[in-house]
Amino acid sequence: MPDKTSNPIGDPERSTIRDAGLGSGMAKGATAMDDGTLLERVRQGDQNAMAEIFDRYGRAVYSVALRILKDSGHAEDVMQDIFFQVWRNSDSFVQGRGSLGAWLVVVARNRSIDVLRRRKPTDSVDDVVLASSSNLASEAEHNALIEKVEKVLQDLPAEQQRSMQLAFFEGLSHSEIAERTGDPLGTVKTRIRLALITLRKAFQP
Amino acid sequence: MSGNEHNTQEELASYAMQNLPVEESASIRAHLQTCAPCRDELSRVGGDLALIGLAVDQQPLPAGARERFMNRIASSAAVKPEVKGPEVTPISVKTPRRGASFWTPWIAAAAMAIAAISLGVQNRALNQELNDESKLVKNLAAQGSKAQQLLEVLTAPSAQRVTLTEGKVPAQPSARATYLPERGGLILLATNLKPLPEGKAYELWVIPANGKAPVPAGVFRPDAAGTATLVLPSIPAGIDAKAFGVTIEKAGGAESPTLPIILSGAPG
Repeated sequence: MPDKTSNPIGDPERSTIRDAGLGSGMAKGATAMDDGTLLERVRQGDQNAMAEIFDRYGRAVYSVALRILKDSGHAEDVMQDIFFQVWRNSDSFVQGRGSLGAWLVVVARNRSIDVLRRRKPTDSVDDVVLASSSNLASEAEHNALIEKVEKVLQDLPAEQQRSMQLAFFEGLSHSEIAERTGDPLGTVKTRIRLALITLRKAFQP
Repeated sequence: MSGNEHNTQEELASYAMQNLPVEESASIRAHLQTCAPCRDELSRVGGDLALIGLAVDQQPLPAGARERFMNRIASSAAVKPEVKGPEVTPISVKTPRRGASFWTPWIAAAAMAIAAISLGVQNRALNQELNDESKLVKNLAAQGSKAQQLLEVLTAPSAQRVTLTEGKVPAQPSARATYLPERGGLILLATNLKPLPEGKAYELWVIPANGKAPVPAGVFRPDAAGTATLVLPSIPAGIDAKAFGVTIEKAGGAESPTLPIILSGAPG
């Protein structure tokens, strides 16, 4: 088994509005509600709480969908559906499965791939479980994280970058990547494994 | 991975990204149910992958996106009623007037009688409502069960599919599409299809009557007997179809049809 170092995607109970830093309406006040409280209010039908979550994470969700689908209309459809799912069934996100922002981003990625591949939504949100450990304590830390991730990804050998991009943003299987790039299947698997190891090592405490 | 061996990191990454074929995904899912270390590793891989998603350049939302979302949840608010805190009736403390003690038991009795009658009326109304809802649920359940049976018959791998032809003419590849434009609902039953090489699939196209580009309506591969079904693929509602066509494309589908058209037909 690979090493067990966790990444900075954190526990929603400790996820504050500052750490989100993802949405257009990001608040910076000390009185901002954490994600857990907002979700509890959404569960009770509080539309303002839902608007707060949308403001907080809308851009991140939309940006991932747009990157994959390259069509603003389809990307907005994916985004709207995901947030509407949170509104209708806020229990979709189970606390303890990582931060709400990261969870939404991963669900957005998976839904977008479903659209891209014209398949029925796999809808296995139950499978989306993210490691919890430390969290992003401030907007500055969040920005630092993004910069760090970008740098790590940019520093990967070009072949590893390409394999990860095909897997993550195009939803290709190892065999499909091998077919697309003309590389042996084993090489593709090794590249993806090495890329993941590098990414994880970069965030070792 | 085989047997009780742990999943590799790249297998778990593909599983987390839902990039695996159905059988392989099912095998990993089964292993995960009994293997805590692999479940832990899956959550870490999920966290690693989320980092890639979070690092995507942030784009501004389309104009009006927030408003559209708020309108959507507002219009659904009737279904998801806003939960209000319990109503609290303020208790006022007053000094009783002299002589009020005489009336108190009678007032209390009268109030209880009124409350009892009111509760009785409410109870009857609620029972009626409950009966109505029970009937509705039963009806919906019956309809749902019928729809489920229909889907199972249409899509079951063990279902026998027979193409009836005139005389002794050998059965040719054919498909029957049933399409409901206003809902974007479509069911396709294909028979006697030729097998395809690995990495290829048949793709159904809706050819719009307004002359716009063909709309992809789902990819499918035939089974060993050459039959395939496509049930309710994701198609935008409201497309009037001039014709339907089936082409051979890469397994993931194509943006536009690749000639030749293997099967085609127009609504009668």
